Amino acid sequence: MFTAFWDILTIDNLIYLFKGAMVSLSMAALSLFIGLIFGILGASAKISKNRLLRILGNIYVEVIRGTPMLLQIMLIFNVVPIIVTQITGEVFRMNYFLIGVVAMSINSGAYTTELIRSGINGIDKGQWEACETLGLSRWQTMRLVILPQAFKRIVPPLISEFITLIKDSSLVSIIGLVELLNSAKVLGNQYYEFMSPYCLAGVYYLVMTLTISYIAKKIERKLAVSD
Amino acid sequence: MIKIENIVKQFNNLKAVNDVSLEIKKGEIVCLIGPSGSGKSTVLRCINGLEKPESGHIYVNDQLLDEKDSENYKKLRGLMGFVFQHFNLFPNMTVLENLTLAPIQVMKKSKEEAEQIACQYLERVGLLDKKNEYPNKLSGGQKQRVAIARSLCMSPEIMLFDEPTSALDPEMVIEVLEVMQELANEGMTMVVVTHEMGFARTVANRVIFLEDGKIVEENNAEEFFKHPKTQRAQDFLNKVMH
Repeated sequence: MFTAFWDILTIDNLIYLFKGAMVSLSMAALSLFIGLIFGILGASAKISKNRLLRILGNIYVEVIRGTPMLLQIMLIFNVVPIIVTQITGEVFRMNYFLIGVVAMSINSGAYTTELIRSGINGIDKGQWEACETLGLSRWQTMRLVILPQAFKRIVPPLISEFITLIKDSSLVSIIGLVELLNSAKVLGNQYYEFMSPYCLAGVYYLVMTLTISYIAKKIERKLAVSD
Repeated sequence: MIKIENIVKQFNNLKAVNDVSLEIKKGEIVCLIGPSGSGKSTVLRCINGLEKPESGHIYVNDQLLDEKDSENYKKLRGLMGFVFQHFNLFPNMTVLENLTLAPIQVMKKSKEEAEQIACQYLERVGLLDKKNEYPNKLSGGQKQRVAIARSLCMSPEIMLFDEPTSALDPEMVIEVLEVMQELANEGMTMVVVTHEMGFARTVANRVIFLEDGKIVEENNAEEFFKHPKTQRAQDFLNKVMH
């Protein structure tokens, strides 16, 4: 068993896993960013004065949070190409990486919606009232007074969301994308030994998540100083 | 200058303000007093539009305060400055930025002009040296003086004060009252919800005593404190004056 481990532990294999890790990381980072945009839109809808927008925002959040991400990935993998083919009449095959990013962005957006909404709602009502009495519009109040304060509350949980996304990116392996988990599996198949590559993949995941949570702690401390 | 006609404001079936009418003339200083829960703060918040009364009308400079007429609504509300019990300064901005935000954003003043005006008001409340501090570095009394200066930067014609000294340590109360006294001396029209009976007695022209959302007694300050007419006002004064 241990001979197998030393067989697998070659520079080439480590680089191969590293490439997989980069796929996972870039997928998570892209999804976090696009999810943030969805989150801003979702939160705007949820706190808007328009009832229809509020309902739509709620449906988005509840449906996404209430169903497994694995299901969402499978659905997008199966359904989107069919719809596109129906519309354009041409056979459409989506890039695996793209499917992962789309599914994870939609998923992350729902959680980010709630993060942003609670960050905004956590700001004292008196701030809104002070702006109202000074004649500022709702949008000016949001942009100049509320969001800068809410931002501080949103950043730390947003970084945790990033860590969650890195881990959840492994789910995209189900559709065949060779990210970190699948890279380990490929190595396992090659050497007929799975424990070592999976353990190595675990180490890669840990390096990514622990580094980010270390940075998160630093940022949190910095944000707390100006409080 | 301000006229309130029969306003009613309900919170979950509780009538916080029940059919209140009153009038405030230009240059007048009126104190609203009464036990907690009497609706005095709600009356003040209705005047400014922070609360929307269920029924009744509010006139500012003989014009109806009506949310539907949004241009005029904005203009009329702009005539009124509001000072909160909890200051509500913007913690993410320096003192100077707190003061210049609305003049720049709402009145479209240049930054230089807004800062110049802000500094004038900061000097008047004695806090010019704090202009680059953040609010969390200020004492409660200083915060409230900044909040008053912030309102004044919008050149209001009427100042509304909602228990401006209730959240302050006792030794800070006086510095805020002095600023208000000075404003009164300059002829500002003021409506003050307060528990500071000494201030009401010496500064106010008129005192309005509310209980259970209704006006119980209304008189000039001197008369009210010397010879309260109603039993309820007498009871209240006995409790709060030692």
